[in-house]
Order: sequence, then structure tokens, then C-alpha cells
Amino acid sequence: MNTTQQTARVGLFFLLGVALIWVTFETLSDGKFFEEHQHKLVARFNDLRQLKVGDEVRLAGVRVGSVQATRLAGRQAEAVLQIDPTVAIANDSTATIEMAGLISGNYISIDMGSIGAPALADGAEIRTVETPDLNTLMADIGGLGKQLQSSLGSFSAALNGDPSKGGGILQKLDKLVTENSERVNATMTNLQQITDKINRGDGTLGKLVNDPKLHDEMLATVDEIKAAASQAKEFVANAEGVMDQIKSGKGTLGTLVYDQKAADDIRASLANIRSVSDKLAKGEGTLGKLINDPGLYDSAQVTIKKVDRTLDGLNDSGPITAVGIVANALF
Amino acid sequence: MKQLNAIFEGVGSVVQLFLRSASYAGSLPRQWSRFIEQCYLIGYTTLPIVAILSFFIGTVLALEAGYAMEGFGAKEFIGSLVGLSMARELGPMMTAVLLAGRVGSAITAELASMTVYQEIDALKTMNIQAAKILVLPRLAAVLVMMPVLIVIANIVGWFGGSVVARYVSYVGISPEAYFAALRHFTKFKDVINGVEKAEVFGFVVVLVCCDIGLNTRGGPREIGAAVTRAVVVSLILILVLDYFVTKILL
Repeated sequence: MNTTQQTARVGLFFLLGVALIWVTFETLSDGKFFEEHQHKLVARFNDLRQLKVGDEVRLAGVRVGSVQATRLAGRQAEAVLQIDPTVAIANDSTATIEMAGLISGNYISIDMGSIGAPALADGAEIRTVETPDLNTLMADIGGLGKQLQSSLGSFSAALNGDPSKGGGILQKLDKLVTENSERVNATMTNLQQITDKINRGDGTLGKLVNDPKLHDEMLATVDEIKAAASQAKEFVANAEGVMDQIKSGKGTLGTLVYDQKAADDIRASLANIRSVSDKLAKGEGTLGKLINDPGLYDSAQVTIKKVDRTLDGLNDSGPITAVGIVANALF
Repeated sequence: MKQLNAIFEGVGSVVQLFLRSASYAGSLPRQWSRFIEQCYLIGYTTLPIVAILSFFIGTVLALEAGYAMEGFGAKEFIGSLVGLSMARELGPMMTAVLLAGRVGSAITAELASMTVYQEIDALKTMNIQAAKILVLPRLAAVLVMMPVLIVIANIVGWFGGSVVARYVSYVGISPEAYFAALRHFTKFKDVINGVEKAEVFGFVVVLVCCDIGLNTRGGPREIGAAVTRAVVVSLILILVLDYFVTKILL
């Protein structure tokens, strides 16, 4: 092979290599050899857990950056986030540490924040929310398991019980069934007979189950009950309307209940009535004397007798002037 | 003690050879044809075996990963495992091993023959330094060719993994999912790390093989022994350096 051919092959091979290096670079780094200037945000947590440099930062699930550094900041831990400068993170967005999977580490998840909120500036601190990690959850589940085990132990003890004290629920139940087996059998036989009768349509329950006429009647009854209920509902609605009117002080009853002036008038009237009745009881005034004084009654009776006699005289004495007769009778 | 002395002597000899070769770096443009020839031998002729080996390394990785990850439902991460393993470790290391076996042995055999048959002595008589015309072009060629070999090895290995992921029943993930996982977890920085490793491995392999070849003493029988020694030392150095270079790059 001459030198020219050898050189050509080496040149071709080298160019192929360079092309493949370029393809690899474009595929794996999206054509960015040097990192562009990116916004930095600081997220403070009580515990960064397994978060490490290079882990993803996702906004609503979309990768927008990565964790540039992790460090201690006082009694907290701080993660410095590199964010794509074309992505605006709202200043009310919150960052949380999420698990990407059981074996694939963690990532920082940022929510969208509210619409119209201003974007966080370069170097600003983003709000954070602590979320329980897998270890905490596993510890909780472990505690739950222990409680469950304890509960199951108690349940099992209750079921099995202490044999010296007659055993647990299961033993007592077994004993109960064994001792009452004849009664249970009799009860079951009765139940069997009852269900047989129902199936045959015997008795009220059987007819109710099997007779379509009874079924129709029951339906009609139900309809009537529904109609009655409807009327009752209407009545209640009317009553509610009346109550509303009363409450709003409309009508006589409403005025009576809610109008202060009417109440005062009624109170004054009652006081007057009581005053009059007291006077009547004491025999004061004309009506009181009329009720309480027996002399007035006697006088009235005498007067009526005289009038009666006068009228009788009129009938017997002929045409005498009415004035003369009345005067004669009276005086 | 004697073996320890031999190790120190070997290290010293390799360092001296490197310094001598580096001192002639300015003469490289005048040795263009030798450089191209070494590029052809180290890069072009090694490509087929590197491609075959990398393909099957990728397939085996995917098979093993699929078998292991199926148990806990993480088959979707096969792409990331194959991608990172090939780029950061297996691509550079296996290519360096092949380089030691194929190119390193050839270099040692050639230089040992030249030494045994006193061609090197003849060059010295003509005031031509072996480090200048025999070592420097090889070192330059391996530095240029290794990145190309590594990238091809990576891509072929990744492709081999995708074939297994698609067509082996118990793995059974789509090429899209495989390459999505690969892209998600493998960065260009990982590939660059692998290339840096491979440059170190290739440079050391060629330098050691040249040194062992140039220091061969005795007759033709010693040529075979020198080749064996060169390959064994190269493999050990690859593995030892792998640890330290990885530690530095992480």
C-alpha cells in the first residue's frame, strides 16, 4: 500500500472519528459545550436528604435546571439551583424535594406559582416546603405495623382467651352453639317452615310477597301516603308563609306579636278591664251597685209589679188618658 | 529485592524514554509519513476488532443488566447503565487492552527485532535516535487515534445494548426508551472522561511496549519473551492506572 492510500485512509478514519465525536456531543449535551449563564436561586431546607449536585430542578415536571451546589447555612442546608434564564420562576412558587424513584435519587420540584406574580431575580431565595422522605414514611409504616401487630394480638387474645377462665370468644361461641344445638336446630326448622310458607304465599307475609293484588294495593296506599305527604308539605309551606308574615309583623297576628305599640295598647286595655272588674267586684259605680246591691233588685221588682198592675187597670177602666193612669199608678 | 530493582529500573527507563521522545517533539512535522503510518496501524487497522468487541460488550452489559434489573422493575434504566459503563469504563479499558494485545505486541516485536538484529545500534551509529524516529511518531499517533477509537467503541457498544434490549424477550424495552434513559443519565462529560482515560492508557501502553522492545537483550528467542512481558506489563498498568485515573477524574 502506497503512502497516499495510507494517508487517505487515516484521514478518512480521523474525520469519521471527529464526526462521531460531534454527533455524540450534540446528542448528549444538546450542542452546549460551555454552560450558559444561568439564573441562580437559593432554596433552604431543614434537610436536603439525598439531594446532590447535578440533580434535576423541574418546574411543573419539566426540567429547567440543576442543583449547582449544596452547603450548610446556619442550622439549615442550602441548595443553589441553576435555572434556565428563559424560564421565569414566580416569586410565590414553592420548591420541594421529591423522590424521582426508589433507586434514582431526588430532584427539586417547583410549582408554577400564581398568574401574574413577578419573577424571582437572579440570586433570590425561593420559598420551600419540607416533605417527608422515604425513611420517614418507612418509619411511620413500621410504627403502623407494630400497632397493627399489637391490635391483632389483642384481637387474637380476645378470640382465643384464657382456657382457665373459660376461653375466649370463639370457645364461648362454640360452647354456646354446642349447648343450644337443639334449640338452634328447632329455630332453623321454624325458619325453614316460615320461608316455605312465604314461598307458597301462605299468611300475610306470603301474600304480601306473592300476591300481585296486595302489591298493587300497597302501591296505591303508598301513593295516597305520598299525596297526603304532599298536602302536608303544602300545609307546612302555607304555615311557614303565615309564620313568615307573622315574623315580618304583617296582619293582625303579626301586629299583635311583633308591634310594640299594639302590645302597649293591649296591656293598657287589660289594665282598664281589670280596673273596671275590680270596681264591679267592689260594688262601685252604677253597674257595680246593679250587680252587688240587692235593694236595687227589690226596687226594680216592685216597680215592675206596679207597671204590671197599671197595665191591668188600663184594660179594665176604659179610655182614661195614659198620662192619668200612669200618674195614678205611680203616685 | 531483585524484582523491586527491576521495577524501579523499568520505571526509570520508561520515564527517560518519554523525556527523550518529548525532547524531539519539534521534529514531528518532518516525520509526517511515519506519523501517518503509525496512525494507520494503531487506529485504522484496530478499528474492526474494537468495533466487534465493543458491540458484544454492549450486548452482554444489556443482558446482565436486564437479568438483574428485571427483579425489581428497573429495566428502563438499562440504557443508562450501558451508556455510563461504556463511556466511563469499559470503552476506554477494553480498547486499551486490545491496543496492548494487538498494537503493543507488534511494537515490541518490531523494536525488539530491530534491537536484537542491531538495527538500533546502526541507527545510533548514524546519530539517529530511536526515540526520535521510532517512539515519537507512535506516541503522537496513539494520542490522535485513541479518541476516535473510543468514540466509535462507545457508539457501537451502545448500539449493541439497544439490540439486546429490543430483541431479548426478558429485557424487551423499546430502543426509544433505551436511548432516552441513556441520554438522560450519560453526559458528554462522561465521554470526555473516558477519552482522557483512554489517552493515558494508550500513551502508557505504547511507551512501555517501546521501552521493552528497545531494551531487549539476547537473541531471537528473547523477542517472544519481550512481547509477552510487554503485553503483561501493559495489562497490569492499564488496570492499576484505571483506578488512579478514575479517582482523579471523579
